[in-house]
Amino acid sequence: MAIECSYYLEPVDTSDLPRRYLEGLAAILSHSNYAMVLDTACRVTTRCGRCSTSCPVYETSGEDRDIPCRRSELLLKVYRRYFTPFGNLGARFGRSFEIDEAYINTMAEEFYRCTACRRCNLECPMGIDHGLLTHLARWSLAEVGIVPKALVVATREQLDGTTRNTSAIPKAALLDTCEFLEEDCADEVGLKIEFPIDREGTEYVFFPAVSDYLLEPDTLIGNAAVMSATGGSWTIGTGAYDGINYGLFYSDRMLDRIVSMEAEEVRRLGARKILIGECGHASRSAKFFIRTFCGADDAPEVVNFMEYTHRAWKEGRLELRPDVVSQRTTYHDPCNIARTGWIIDQPREILRHICADYVDMTPKGRENYCCGGGGGTVSIDEIREFRTLVGGAKKAEQIRRTGAEIVVAPCANCKKQLREVCEDHGLDQVRVVGLHDLLIKAIVPPAEMLIEIDDAAVGAASEV
Amino acid sequence: MDGWIEFARGPLFRIALTVCVLGLGYRIVTLVGQIAVAWHRAGDRRLPLGDIVAATAGWLVPRRLWHKRPVYSSASVLFHVGVLVVPLFLAGHAALLPGILPVWWPVIPEAVADGVTLVSLAALLALVVGRLGSASSRAITRAGDVLVLVILFALVLFGWWAANPAFSPFAARTMLLLHVLVGDLVLVLVPITKIAHCVLYPFTRLVFQLGWHFPAETGRHVAQALNKEGEPV
Repeated sequence: MAIECSYYLEPVDTSDLPRRYLEGLAAILSHSNYAMVLDTACRVTTRCGRCSTSCPVYETSGEDRDIPCRRSELLLKVYRRYFTPFGNLGARFGRSFEIDEAYINTMAEEFYRCTACRRCNLECPMGIDHGLLTHLARWSLAEVGIVPKALVVATREQLDGTTRNTSAIPKAALLDTCEFLEEDCADEVGLKIEFPIDREGTEYVFFPAVSDYLLEPDTLIGNAAVMSATGGSWTIGTGAYDGINYGLFYSDRMLDRIVSMEAEEVRRLGARKILIGECGHASRSAKFFIRTFCGADDAPEVVNFMEYTHRAWKEGRLELRPDVVSQRTTYHDPCNIARTGWIIDQPREILRHICADYVDMTPKGRENYCCGGGGGTVSIDEIREFRTLVGGAKKAEQIRRTGAEIVVAPCANCKKQLREVCEDHGLDQVRVVGLHDLLIKAIVPPAEMLIEIDDAAVGAASEV
Repeated sequence: MDGWIEFARGPLFRIALTVCVLGLGYRIVTLVGQIAVAWHRAGDRRLPLGDIVAATAGWLVPRRLWHKRPVYSSASVLFHVGVLVVPLFLAGHAALLPGILPVWWPVIPEAVADGVTLVSLAALLALVVGRLGSASSRAITRAGDVLVLVILFALVLFGWWAANPAFSPFAARTMLLLHVLVGDLVLVLVPITKIAHCVLYPFTRLVFQLGWHFPAETGRHVAQALNKEGEPV
């Protein structure tokens, strides 16, 4: 039988699939710390069901298969049967289940219904991290070739392709885009900005989600404007310019290779730090895994762009006009930067300053609801209905309750997902933007940034 | 009958207690060992210890519980209080370990123990009803989850009947024997069932946090093991 899921797959070799799956899982368990995780999960899980009270997917779908604990049990069952003495003993007496293709197919489907937002972890009295178990299960599936096509094709281009980025943007197109953005900002806003390319010895090398070059010009212009206004020392490296890391969503092997590529680019350019653009998973994968795979204390420091901007503003190196945004504005916390408490208050402080009518969603911060496109699912267009009407339903309800016209979502994935969520939930008046999209209107530019004093142009740009 | 009771709360109890203590000790030692190895292998050994301690301690004062499913959660808290207080601090239980417990070991009045026991029984019933009555809990419940609750309910009920023979359908000595036998059974079950969380709980958040701290070579070693080195994506 063929493996069939609600998402597209590349052809999967199903010959002897259960055995090959178990070999892959055994290799992973031998060379990682996951056996400790699975052992502990098996011993302490009480199956109390509290996780079901916090999962945005289950809360909407109401389907048993979406209960985090039940999903994790799919993996724990395999572990208990094949990797514990009791499981082996049970098998000898004929009292056990045997993994087969249908079971693997079920895992393939279920583990991609989880958005890996890790909200259920907050609710589990035992602290079981179902996000980590989803992460492991997906890697085990990836080793037998079961990965959503959208993720694997993008990763292939990033690691083995000629362009070395997930959107397949060639270097020449990148350079053209940067030049265009500089000109656009000069013409439309009257500000001189620069995207430095391959400059050596800078403090930061910039890695946005590369799709920003195609889809989020305003975010990038805002990024460059902040750097110009603060005299920031940064560059884009043409060796690697994509912060996206789908390895976080399906394979530690890919995660390793992608963050190593970023660290290598920093070394090539003689820079000191990595500056990640507005993207949650890109930030988390760099911040937490460059240290893992690239030499811990020797690894370059990782800074999210919002951290940079907030610090510059607080230190007085960046002046922002208050209340330049008149429409009601709210902020969506990307799970990958908020769940651990890393970036929650910084953007809010800025937004409260530049927005005349800022409101928070409830819940927010560490407790936020996922946009519904987490865990790489946003890239899987064929499951849009599930993503927006099931995974994104709680978020749509949150947005509606705020009455906001502008949702600031500082993440490439969240932005794409939320635009589709708003479209599919009739929130037509809502505009989803990045934080730096709004900042371009608030920055008080130093004299050297002004191309010409054109009140009309600046005034027009100030209107959101 | 008295001979059986003495056997059950004498040698049998000591064997069960030994199995329990050694079993839990084994669980702790193996987990601490796994944690040490995992931390040593981790590419990044910096852990957010403050967050881990805060979350672990936070659930000991279960403020968060009442946000969701308050009845089920309250039953869980009352049950946990009951199964800690009565087994450890009832005078009759303390007397099972003469010369082992220190002289200052506190004991609770029998009337208090009776009250706490009744609350525990009610809580256990509520947990069974809550588990089987909630669609989401029922969907993830395995037979063992209910069996553990039933065994604990029997243990507590037999104990209460033994202490309050006026309410017991059988002779007090019979109830006492059953209570002691089931108690011995529970002691043996503690390390091999999910009840082991009574000693593993302090480590669980550390384990799951450490789980994200992969060995630096994990990807390359897995690729080697699966003959996938240099294989394109």
